[in-house]
Amino acid sequence: MKLMVNGYEAHVATGGKKFEKNLPTVLFLHGSGLDHRSWALQTRWFAYNGFGVLAPDFPGHSLSKGAPCVTIEDSGKWLADFLDAMGVREAHVVGHSQGFLSALELSKLRPTALKSLIGVGTAAAIPVNPMLIETAGRSPMKAADLMLQWGFGHQTQMGVSATPGMQPIAIGRQIMGNNPLAIDLQCCADYWGGVDAVGLVTAPSAMILAGQDKMTPIKAGLAIADHLQAKLVVLKDYGHMLPIEAPKQVLVALREFILSVEKQIGASSSS
Amino acid sequence: MGRSSYYHPDTMALHSGYVPESDYGSRAVPIYQTTSYVFDSVDDASSLFNVEQGGHIYSRISNPTVAVLEQRLAALEGGSGAICTASGMSALFTTFITLCSAGDHIVSSGQIYGSTATLLRHTLKRLGIETTFVSINDQGALEGAIRANTKMVFCESIGNPGLEVANLPQINSIASQYGLPVVVDATFAPPGLCNTIESGANVVVHSATKWIGGHGAAVGGVVIDGGNFDWEASGRFPELTEPYEPFHGIKFWEEFGPNALAMKIRAESMRDIGACMSPNNAFLLLQGIETLNMRMKQHIANTKDMVQWLQSQEQVTWVNHPDLPSNPSNVIARELFPNGAGSMLCFGVVGGRAGGGAFIDSLKLASNLANVGDSRTLVLHPGSTTHSRLTHDAMVAAGISEDLIRVSVGIEGIKDIQADFANGLRAAQHVAESQS
Ligand SMILES: Cc1ncc(COP(=O)(O)O)c(C=O)c1O
Repeated sequence: MKLMVNGYEAHVATGGKKFEKNLPTVLFLHGSGLDHRSWALQTRWFAYNGFGVLAPDFPGHSLSKGAPCVTIEDSGKWLADFLDAMGVREAHVVGHSQGFLSALELSKLRPTALKSLIGVGTAAAIPVNPMLIETAGRSPMKAADLMLQWGFGHQTQMGVSATPGMQPIAIGRQIMGNNPLAIDLQCCADYWGGVDAVGLVTAPSAMILAGQDKMTPIKAGLAIADHLQAKLVVLKDYGHMLPIEAPKQVLVALREFILSVEKQIGASSSS
Repeated sequence: MGRSSYYHPDTMALHSGYVPESDYGSRAVPIYQTTSYVFDSVDDASSLFNVEQGGHIYSRISNPTVAVLEQRLAALEGGSGAICTASGMSALFTTFITLCSAGDHIVSSGQIYGSTATLLRHTLKRLGIETTFVSINDQGALEGAIRANTKMVFCESIGNPGLEVANLPQINSIASQYGLPVVVDATFAPPGLCNTIESGANVVVHSATKWIGGHGAAVGGVVIDGGNFDWEASGRFPELTEPYEPFHGIKFWEEFGPNALAMKIRAESMRDIGACMSPNNAFLLLQGIETLNMRMKQHIANTKDMVQWLQSQEQVTWVNHPDLPSNPSNVIARELFPNGAGSMLCFGVVGGRAGGGAFIDSLKLASNLANVGDSRTLVLHPGSTTHSRLTHDAMVAAGISEDLIRVSVGIEGIKDIQADFANGLRAAQHVAESQS
């Protein structure tokens, strides 16, 4: 669906079903240069199994208009404005890579907006090599190529795909190569507020991490999981692009965690 | 720009789409000779049917062995996804019918494979889809044929029978001004010879029966989604941008973006039309692909030798190959095919229609048959076979002269092919002498 946020049209995928505000909401946040399609194989399940799903394209990405956010703090503010525009007060927030950093900022601004926080293939800080940012400024396609080589694990590099017949690298390349990758990477490089933000998180949390992650090495993700006392799921045979590379395993982990949080909420509200 | 893998094409040809599976570690791609797949649970089944997760349901729609071939071909062409079909013709029909409905229009090159021409001219017309045929490298003619209801520009990368190379960058620049995808049958230009997607194609179709399989053992086809066409910006494709009712109103473009077309073909055409490839044929075609690049080098080397040799034979009246300066598309051929524009060539012999027939009948090594792209040398004399009932004038109108011999140059020892052809040329010479 489309809606106006801060005067610009934003695109938000709703998992193939009309968004229902009165159902528990799951908010999916994409990573650098990507869009809502990273979550194609998680969002539909939630939408068809009792949840309201929101997977926005951040401003200036793929189907959303407006200028891209130039800091992670801005993207956190944009998320708060987006939730207001949707009339949503609280959501389970799932962030892949950079999307998790934005989720942390949202959590700082609106601690009560998070029913739970889930990081997928991420850490509290994502340092980026300045050469990569420079390359992305000159040629997003070239930078996308570098990131896709590091980003996907061995199986995807070998052309194996969770969706029969498809080639995730080419799909990722088309999306990343046509989005404001340099701006996203600069946002990540400049963001050092993650550890402080993590300290303020009160919502239950989970971290789904990849054993072969070369973009946000698992050590950093494990440290955050420890800090958050998060439920930890490690998918050892996959790389950074977890939602695309291991969609089913990510869905199962999300499903188990979010359902368990919903159950707890249900139990405490009825007791 | 297409790119699906960072391995060298020779490596992709051997590995893409498969890593040894965990149960038995089978190094070769296993043949999943099965119709259907057991669901983990009722929930699992319903989520597979609703595209909530990827996976196999029924082999008409997808099959693990066929999927390896699809992913390998998508990797080799640099596409976002591929769908294999029962034959090259079904790949073409699937592509046309996915993108066009009754009332729509196609602009096609006039120089295309005969069955494709018939599909467009007669079968699709019966379904209300009209085609205008143009000389594809004539910019004015191409642009002039585009209408408000046009859905695609279609051509073969190397046209049949004139061996004219389509100027893909030029065709793309015209088509994209009108929001039209360029659909290319690249059968004569298998992956590795030409970067079809980077050169301007948005959708690539192959008859895998030919060079891709290479051994003349299995019929098959593939549609490769270039992933590089914005179906929404085009404004001409509600089929991909508007809700698709049979799948809970899914919008393919919004949901899948760069692989919207491949997903739509899988969801609609494979389900409803069902021209699926058998796993056994996928296995045979995979065996072919493993050596495709090596074979193509030999095909090209033999073709270059044959072109030169034929030009020096006194019974040969003319030779046509895109690499020859006399071919009208030679300049673009050199640009798009830096290593050689394929292994099809045509030539004329003395003695006219009868000379051509005598040439073919005296060959012992080359096979006289209606196929191309086998590892073995194949020849055909349209004047005495496919076009034997046509008058001289009708053949000229079809762009085929009575003396034309079509050769799909194989990878045998070059001296053996030449010795065989030398016999044929002597037979044509006898005919010519008896006519004078
Ligand atoms: C250029 C071209 N396209 C399509 C086809 C049809 O392929 P198939 O025979 O696999 O259906 C052929 C077959 O000869 C061909 O030469």
